[in-house]
Amino acid sequence: MRLVNVFLIVFGKFFIFLSKFTNLGSGSTWPGHIALKINPNFNKQLLKSTNAVKIVIAGTNGKTTTGSLINRVLISNKKTVAHNQAGANLLNGLASSLIHNSNTLGLIKKNYIIFESDEFALPQILENINPDYLICLNLFRDQLDRYGELDEIAKKWKETIKKLSKNTTLILNADDPLVSYLGDGRKNTLYFGLSEKENLKRIKHGADSLRCPKCSYMLTFNKVYFSHLGDWHCEKCGLKRPKLSISNFKYYPLPGIYNRYNILAASLLLLKERYNERQIINGLKLFTPVFGRQEKIRYKNHDIIIFLSKNPTSFNESLSTIKDLNEKNLMFVINDRIPDGLDVSWIWDIGIERIIDKSYNISVSGDRCYDMGIRLKYAELFTHIEQDLKTAIDKMISGLEKDEKLYILPNYSAMLDIRKILLGRKLL
Amino acid sequence: MKYSLTIGWLYPELMNIYGDIGNITTLIKRCEWRNINSEVKMLNPGFKSEELVNCNLLIMGGAQDKQQTVVNKDLKRVKKELCQMIEKGIPGLYVCGGFQFLGKYYKEADGTIIDGLGVLDLYTENSGENIDRLIGNMVFMPEVKELNKPIVGFENHGGRTYLGRKIKPFGKVIKGFGNNGKDLTEGAIYKETFGTYSHGPILPKNPEFADYLITKALEKKYNSRITLKSLDGSLEDNARLVIAKSLDIEI
Repeated sequence: MRLVNVFLIVFGKFFIFLSKFTNLGSGSTWPGHIALKINPNFNKQLLKSTNAVKIVIAGTNGKTTTGSLINRVLISNKKTVAHNQAGANLLNGLASSLIHNSNTLGLIKKNYIIFESDEFALPQILENINPDYLICLNLFRDQLDRYGELDEIAKKWKETIKKLSKNTTLILNADDPLVSYLGDGRKNTLYFGLSEKENLKRIKHGADSLRCPKCSYMLTFNKVYFSHLGDWHCEKCGLKRPKLSISNFKYYPLPGIYNRYNILAASLLLLKERYNERQIINGLKLFTPVFGRQEKIRYKNHDIIIFLSKNPTSFNESLSTIKDLNEKNLMFVINDRIPDGLDVSWIWDIGIERIIDKSYNISVSGDRCYDMGIRLKYAELFTHIEQDLKTAIDKMISGLEKDEKLYILPNYSAMLDIRKILLGRKLL
Repeated sequence: MKYSLTIGWLYPELMNIYGDIGNITTLIKRCEWRNINSEVKMLNPGFKSEELVNCNLLIMGGAQDKQQTVVNKDLKRVKKELCQMIEKGIPGLYVCGGFQFLGKYYKEADGTIIDGLGVLDLYTENSGENIDRLIGNMVFMPEVKELNKPIVGFENHGGRTYLGRKIKPFGKVIKGFGNNGKDLTEGAIYKETFGTYSHGPILPKNPEFADYLITKALEKKYNSRITLKSLDGSLEDNARLVIAKSLDIEI
């Protein structure tokens, strides 16, 4: 172990302790940032000596939920897990997670390492981690101002995956054409997808990758589950959805069709790791939603449930899921800070008017509440607009009947602000 | 008399990135709220030219590169009809990729030249990945007599567009980059055809401009002066103020 790394780990651990102690934050990126500045090979060197099974999870939506599901099952089977903090999903987040989970000699004595990777950072992350498993969940439009175009990301992913070791097991969403194509011609690839009947109430607008990833011809869908996920094939070149290794599971701890995919991905990995169905189900039963992903928080004698909704697909699916639960009190919170992307034009790609009607009680808040207000004006839905978030929440709560719940759909930084108001802290 | 409009949406499935559908929603609703019938013609690849020429107002958005190649090929098919409509003064809004298509050419980083329709005297150059994309909130003052409010939008483009002598800019940049980040021009106007880099989408937050397009389309169709009933715009004003404040400017 290099001396400089020991120093960086000790310093980093002290920093994490300090920032938690002073409640300044969770110290989830700074120690790693500094470590990488001083030693750019920090991650690779630390990971070299560990025997942990390494799992990387990528995709626009569902990384945190999938990672937490796997984590929960592993822990309930008495395994030790290093899992990066939500949001800290770049190289500096990886370094911070390693600092946090290693001993002072730089040894990571865990059975598993789970790393949720940012879409853009995935090539670097894979080069640093060389994982045993790579799960790719989906690719949706999200933050075009930061990430660029979907095809570009898929192209970069494909190039990186070509360089991966043959021992890496790829776990891919077969229903997402761009993601599924990542495994084209590659051995050691497993696919998950759905085989149930399609829900015709679902919206198809906002579908992102309707062209064949191989020949660019318009794809044909026998079934669409939501957005561009479904049973697809290309009439021209014959490319089609690959054969599924898993399409159903006995137990789903979370509502929402998008969560089916997350649960299938997690189960497929766990089955491959030789956990049996019973062990997985028992673990999933202990799962509680986390960090804004259907997270339930008690506030002023009411349950508030937070559905992180940061792009058109996640917003549509959150709204559809809440509708299926017969809930009527909604709040949309939209900010335009760096982690959200500065461009809020995606709110026009949400199919609000096709999912809900005038019977809903809706409030809007956040930095860009007027933009969302205009969106709802054009959906001809009445809304309360209140720019100040705390006032907005308190007003909505005070108008609720006993036992009524409030469902909040925030984008990322708005979700952190809400947790700060409701729990007194932004992160975990 | 009850008015009616046919809005032609060029390549809705391929050119609809960045919430471009919001422009269509805005036009439909602002017509509906004034008791004007509107119909949207979805002009997907292979559409018939008669469908195009029956439209009173044209809208085209931006797209990813792969989609733009398909559209560029298909658009050549109806080049004659589209150019005639533009020359006749049929109003149209062309955002980002759509705007670039109307120019003479688009030059890629490796020197490849993609021919445009050539109906507007402008060209676009993209210097590749090493040059920053022009991204951010933008405000510009339109140079159109009937438009008195600055337009607030969001731009995100790699290409730099340069206007020729025969064409006027849509407006002057107050904040942001505009056509090329250098000459303070934003977009282009030719007769009643408007090109712009402003997403956002542009029409919901700039209702004055949305109403201008509706008015011009009706006036052209019915060959008479038309004044639209005014609608409440306080939400829009507030939304625009939030951006102006964040950019530290007054509008």
